[in-house]
Amino acid sequence: MSPRYDAILIGAGHNGLVAAATLARKGRKVLVLEARDHPGGMLGDPAFRVAPLPYALRPEIAKALQLDQTMLYKAKPLDVLSFGADGPPLRVAGGLATGVDIATAEAYAALYARLGRQAKALGAMLLETPPSLGKANLSEMAGFARMALKMRLLGKTEMRDLLRIILSNAWDLLNDEIGDGPLAGLLALDATLGGAMGPRSPGTVLTLLYRMASHSPHGHGLRLMPQGSPDALVTALADCVKAAGGEIRTGAPVERILVEGDRAAGVRLASGEEITAPLVLSNASPKTTLITLLGVAHLDGEFVRRCRSMASKGMVSRLDFDVAEPPAVRCGGALLSGQRLVVAPSMQAIETAFNAAKYRNLPDRPALEAVYDGATRRLSVSAQFTPYDLAGGWTDEAKAKLSASVLAVLEEALPGIASTVTGSRVMSPADIEAGYGAAGGHWHHGELRVDQLLMLRPFDGAARYRMPVAGLYLCGAGAHPGGDISGAAGFNAARAALRDGGH
Amino acid sequence: MQATATSAPLVHLGLEPGPFHERLVAHNRQRAWMNWMGYASPSVLDTVEFEYFAIRNQSTLFDISPMCKYAITGPDAESVVNRLVTRDIRKLKPGRVAYCIWCDEDGQVVDDGTVFRYSATEFRLCCQEPQLSWLEDIAWGFDVEIRDVTREIAGLALQGPTSCALLKDLGLAGIETLKPFGIAGYTIAGAEVSISRTGFTGDLGYELWMEPADALAVWDALTAAGKLRGLRVIGYEALEMARIEAGFLLPKVDFLSAQTVLRADRASTPYELGLDWLVALDKPHFNGRRALLELSKKPPRRKLVAIEIERDKPAHNALVYHRKTREVGMVTSALWSPTCKRNIAYAWLDAPYGQTVAGDLWVEIYLQKEIRWQRRMARCQPVDKPFFVHPRRSATPPADY
Repeated sequence: MSPRYDAILIGAGHNGLVAAATLARKGRKVLVLEARDHPGGMLGDPAFRVAPLPYALRPEIAKALQLDQTMLYKAKPLDVLSFGADGPPLRVAGGLATGVDIATAEAYAALYARLGRQAKALGAMLLETPPSLGKANLSEMAGFARMALKMRLLGKTEMRDLLRIILSNAWDLLNDEIGDGPLAGLLALDATLGGAMGPRSPGTVLTLLYRMASHSPHGHGLRLMPQGSPDALVTALADCVKAAGGEIRTGAPVERILVEGDRAAGVRLASGEEITAPLVLSNASPKTTLITLLGVAHLDGEFVRRCRSMASKGMVSRLDFDVAEPPAVRCGGALLSGQRLVVAPSMQAIETAFNAAKYRNLPDRPALEAVYDGATRRLSVSAQFTPYDLAGGWTDEAKAKLSASVLAVLEEALPGIASTVTGSRVMSPADIEAGYGAAGGHWHHGELRVDQLLMLRPFDGAARYRMPVAGLYLCGAGAHPGGDISGAAGFNAARAALRDGGH
Repeated sequence: MQATATSAPLVHLGLEPGPFHERLVAHNRQRAWMNWMGYASPSVLDTVEFEYFAIRNQSTLFDISPMCKYAITGPDAESVVNRLVTRDIRKLKPGRVAYCIWCDEDGQVVDDGTVFRYSATEFRLCCQEPQLSWLEDIAWGFDVEIRDVTREIAGLALQGPTSCALLKDLGLAGIETLKPFGIAGYTIAGAEVSISRTGFTGDLGYELWMEPADALAVWDALTAAGKLRGLRVIGYEALEMARIEAGFLLPKVDFLSAQTVLRADRASTPYELGLDWLVALDKPHFNGRRALLELSKKPPRRKLVAIEIERDKPAHNALVYHRKTREVGMVTSALWSPTCKRNIAYAWLDAPYGQTVAGDLWVEIYLQKEIRWQRRMARCQPVDKPFFVHPRRSATPPADY
């Protein structure tokens, strides 16, 4: 008989670690079970990370967990390089764009500031449990009320503007404000990266605002490398769990969530070992958690249907290229370690890449985001619009074809890189699904779409972290507020579990 | 590990002739047809009074082929049926039938029907409304096959006091030992016929299931043997009278399926329908269990109750009042019961009426007497269902009428 725990966390992704730390710091005896050899989930594997370039962990969470803020937020991000069809890349630092004409730069600065203010108003809901549909009580509605108030405080013009654009698409907004080009391409990639949406898809302004809502002392909407690579963040979170008395076991895949008397009772590992706990939080995707680990027999048919119907088709492949020397940037200079580069020359180029993926094909020219790590001489690329359900499947040939097309696009931005490549790896959405408990290989465990957000995230009836089987909670990116590295889903889920009490 | 389901096309252009249509046409003097799931189904063939009295005094044939029928088979069939219905189907033995209801995730009734169990892994569900997509949802993730066999099986209800004797006349050995809700296989006119002692009349009776190709031969054998047993072909209207007396509810009349209502509060729970006895909360998870558990803890907000009304005028569509002033409910089905000699009805009554308050209830009946309408307040009283109870319904063996 294994020792009894108050709570079991399935998956040591950053949300699982945040949830575990939150519970452990409230005196709960927690055990984190991780299938892989490293904690950290998509951030975790130093050999081949799914998310090499994280957004900032939310400062509220860092503060609550007393993490080292210097490590998290000190490093100022380097200028982002955004490549057009030719010429030198634009350099973008927050709201400051250089390499474009002055009128566009001014319009961009105003847009960046405005989206930041609007995102901040919406951000009031990110650290709240969404209200229940139909029967929300006063305290549940308080979060909404705060958001409404913050929106109103934007002023009449800006609030109206927000309500006008919020359900529209990035294409229209960016064409109105800054026109198409590599600058719009950068923002449009932010709006669509990880999702199955092109810039023209409705709701892409909302996803852009989601990204803009991440914030740090250096501004909002920025990728922020913790000092010492993503490992530093993972180590800090893991240490936080351990310092509060929690345990983390790696190489311990969970095979089943155990149920007794309609309550979660613990888990069974693939090894057959059973561990009991009255509270189980799952950082795996909703489909993985509910259909694979829990089993549909414990759920109502309609609930299962909504879970199955969740949009969660992953679109991003990860490619790592080992290079013999630091890549040279087109029209001069070398790529710096930790510098983000984007090859999305225009919104039209992104939309064209998306068109192929809609019909389950690989685009000829995928939209790319990349970061170079000088220490390992490795260029990590996220290639957008490589569909999970690729026609013909993710065969070695398909991966080779993708690798070649990615390298061809990179060669234009970083001339000569192809000849310096000494090794490469490809991770398709299918690989992400198999390796990270994310159904569909989706970064966010489910599309960030209007019909899958707030009280509809991950789907109607499952939005308040607590699942129908008492004692079971979702704490991953599938739950509100969704993906990227913010820690909010794990933080909210742990607080919901504590609030429900009895644990 | 995936449930598969196939559907049969249901409604073609216009009404379809059923497997017994040729014979029904010959009997249908009224030419009164109604649409039952795309089939031409007789509402009344001769006169409703003759047909009704034949149910209670002789025996009757009613074509039930249009009933929706689903074959649920496979290793997980028991789990799937148990997940569907609120009763504990693990207790249903092969060769037995159970009346069941099923609920949505909010504990609201989707439909009712009968579950036939043929073996450990073979079930058939008979119900009024198409349920294939619902069954697909319930069965998803289970190793089971679901097939719409509505058009593959012809059904005949043989109901009435002389029905057992009629079948014995046909040489069906041991039919008298078939207990209520039992199933047995027989041969009639060379055709294989599965007979269940079930029905919608609350009387002695059987339902006969066969291949559509054998339908006419079986019909002819039954009608030939029925000559001395007073066999009469009946339509829906006579059956409707018998089912009210028998205490059975009719979807779309007495309650609405949770799947069809636009207003959420128009759906009904098993507790509101007085079907508590069909809900086994202590079995493993089934659809709607968690909601039903909560609902079972508090009194229903309203209840469908059987009422008896003074005097003889049926209270069709009547409103129900407390102390003749406060409106507290409405009648869904009403009948002057010729056999019970009672004026009976089902009525929805808002809590606490019909639950803790049973006195001083009135129905408002509108009577038309040669164009002039009269309004009558008639006293009514909640009573126990069913109105018609006769020992021959369950006597095994039944007496030889």
